Amino acid sequence: MSKPCADRSVLVVEDEAVISMLIEDMLSELGCAEIRCAATLQAGIAALEQRQPDLVVLDVNLGGAPAFPIAERLAAGGVPFLFTTGYGATGLPPQWADRPVLQKPFTVEALGDQLAKFFSG
Amino acid sequence: MQTVEPSDETAAAAAAALRASLLRSGGLLERLPVGVYACDREGRIAHYNARAAELWGQSPGAQSAPRFCGAHKTFTADGAPLAPAQSPAAQVLENGQRVCDCELILEAPDGRRTYVLANAEPLHDEHGVLIGAVTCIQDITKLKDAQAALRASQARGLDMINAMPTPVYATDASGAILFFNAAAVRFWGRTPVVGHDLWCGSARMYTAEGAPLPHDQCPMAIALKTRSPIVGAEAVAERPGGERAPFLAYPSPIFDDNGVMIGAINMLVDISEHKAAQARQKALIDELNHRVKNTLATVQGLAVQSLRHARDPGEAETRFIARLTALSQAHDHLTREAWSGADLAAMLQAVTGAHRERALRIRLDGPPVRAPPRVAVTLALVVNELADNAITYGSLSAESGEAHMSWRVEADALKFDWIEVGGPAAAAPQRSGFGTRMIARAICDELGGEALLSFEPAGLACRLRIPLGEKS
Repeated sequence: MSKPCADRSVLVVEDEAVISMLIEDMLSELGCAEIRCAATLQAGIAALEQRQPDLVVLDVNLGGAPAFPIAERLAAGGVPFLFTTGYGATGLPPQWADRPVLQKPFTVEALGDQLAKFFSG
Repeated sequence: MQTVEPSDETAAAAAAALRASLLRSGGLLERLPVGVYACDREGRIAHYNARAAELWGQSPGAQSAPRFCGAHKTFTADGAPLAPAQSPAAQVLENGQRVCDCELILEAPDGRRTYVLANAEPLHDEHGVLIGAVTCIQDITKLKDAQAALRASQARGLDMINAMPTPVYATDASGAILFFNAAAVRFWGRTPVVGHDLWCGSARMYTAEGAPLPHDQCPMAIALKTRSPIVGAEAVAERPGGERAPFLAYPSPIFDDNGVMIGAINMLVDISEHKAAQARQKALIDELNHRVKNTLATVQGLAVQSLRHARDPGEAETRFIARLTALSQAHDHLTREAWSGADLAAMLQAVTGAHRERALRIRLDGPPVRAPPRVAVTLALVVNELADNAITYGSLSAESGEAHMSWRVEADALKFDWIEVGGPAAAAPQRSGFGTRMIARAICDELGGEALLSFEPAGLACRLRIPLGEKS
């Protein structure tokens, strides 16, 4: 498998610790150079302000709060991102419906395919 | 037949002429079930049959005979007093024209009232000269009573329909609204104009899919056009204020005895509540699906961690099942309280209990605490890691070592301590295992708390502080 993610920086915004670790390990396996994890809306925004990543993996629901404020920030700043959700693509509001979505649970290959779309172009 | 003897000669002559005229009809008059009487040219009652006397409640004699009518009192059908000079017989004698089907109320001296239908005809002699009037009075009291009863029964029926909580309305064959009940007005949010509003009283309508639905294509209009009933067609009514209510329509054409369609009646069933319940159910299913998918992702994470760090497949299986069991225990205790919280002591007892006889040397001490869902799930997984570590490397690996779990609530935070005693001295692991990583990620990042792991000569000490705020 080629490593389109090498030298890439990814921010994972995921509130559930075990899932966050899982995605972190997957990204590590895919060869990402830097992986940062945030578990809350505030921590996610703080991480973005600290340093802009090449891609954000964004859980739609953060501890009961929708993650769309982060999505709006990313869209405004032109930062690529993909959603992860237990709701599936139909659970997204219309304005976000055309964004890439990974339905939980997902495989490292599915995550790798999504990343390749962002990083190979 | 009663004959009133006239008191003077002129009258006697007139009476004789009348009698001659009447006698031509023989004794028939007596046998008729209707009252018949004859007045002479002056209106004096010359003859009457027994039925007439019965209806009048009196038998007029020569002296007392009233003119034009033998009743004690007469009223119009509306109940207004009618003077004898206005009676049908008087009218005939005045203008020579017959009077047909005049409804009157006769009152007898005892107050008894009878509804009658009066018909009066002029009487002529052989030269065509008007010589009197014959009046026929027919008792229609029973008919009037039946009509009144029918009207009352129809009114009761309308009262009942009006009192129904379901919107009901009726139209004529052209679709013009003729009747609607109070529930229909409430449902439409407006009062239609009788005879003017067509097909439905709602301000606007839409199909179930939300497309505008013209009134002439609504279920009632279709039922009238096709002359066929429709059972439960779904549409949406919009009130003048813009509020929409989905409903099912049951329009049914009505036909008369000759099969001619005379209109239709429609019942509307408001299904707003039903639709809202469907939406709530969908939201619940979506939320359940979300939780299931997240839980499956968590299980996926536990499986990956268990496989990755194990020395052999047996250890991977044991670790994975212990973690899955701890997660399941947390869910069990949360489900008991509808996911509002979990009894911390009971849940931790169950989690450590999974480690069998070694668990007997794990002491629990703390006040009753309702752990919020995320705190409960995290603590179940963390305590399972601590117990597993203690059994493998820590105090519980020694013959008499113990682990003391204690907690208290301080300043809206849960302070939780895991202290190992009586085992080998603890040493910091060379690399961060799942347990330490989990503690840092879940307690610190996810729950915004603090964790302190001390590797002391007496054994491991893990001190946690977890906020119990609303976000947990």
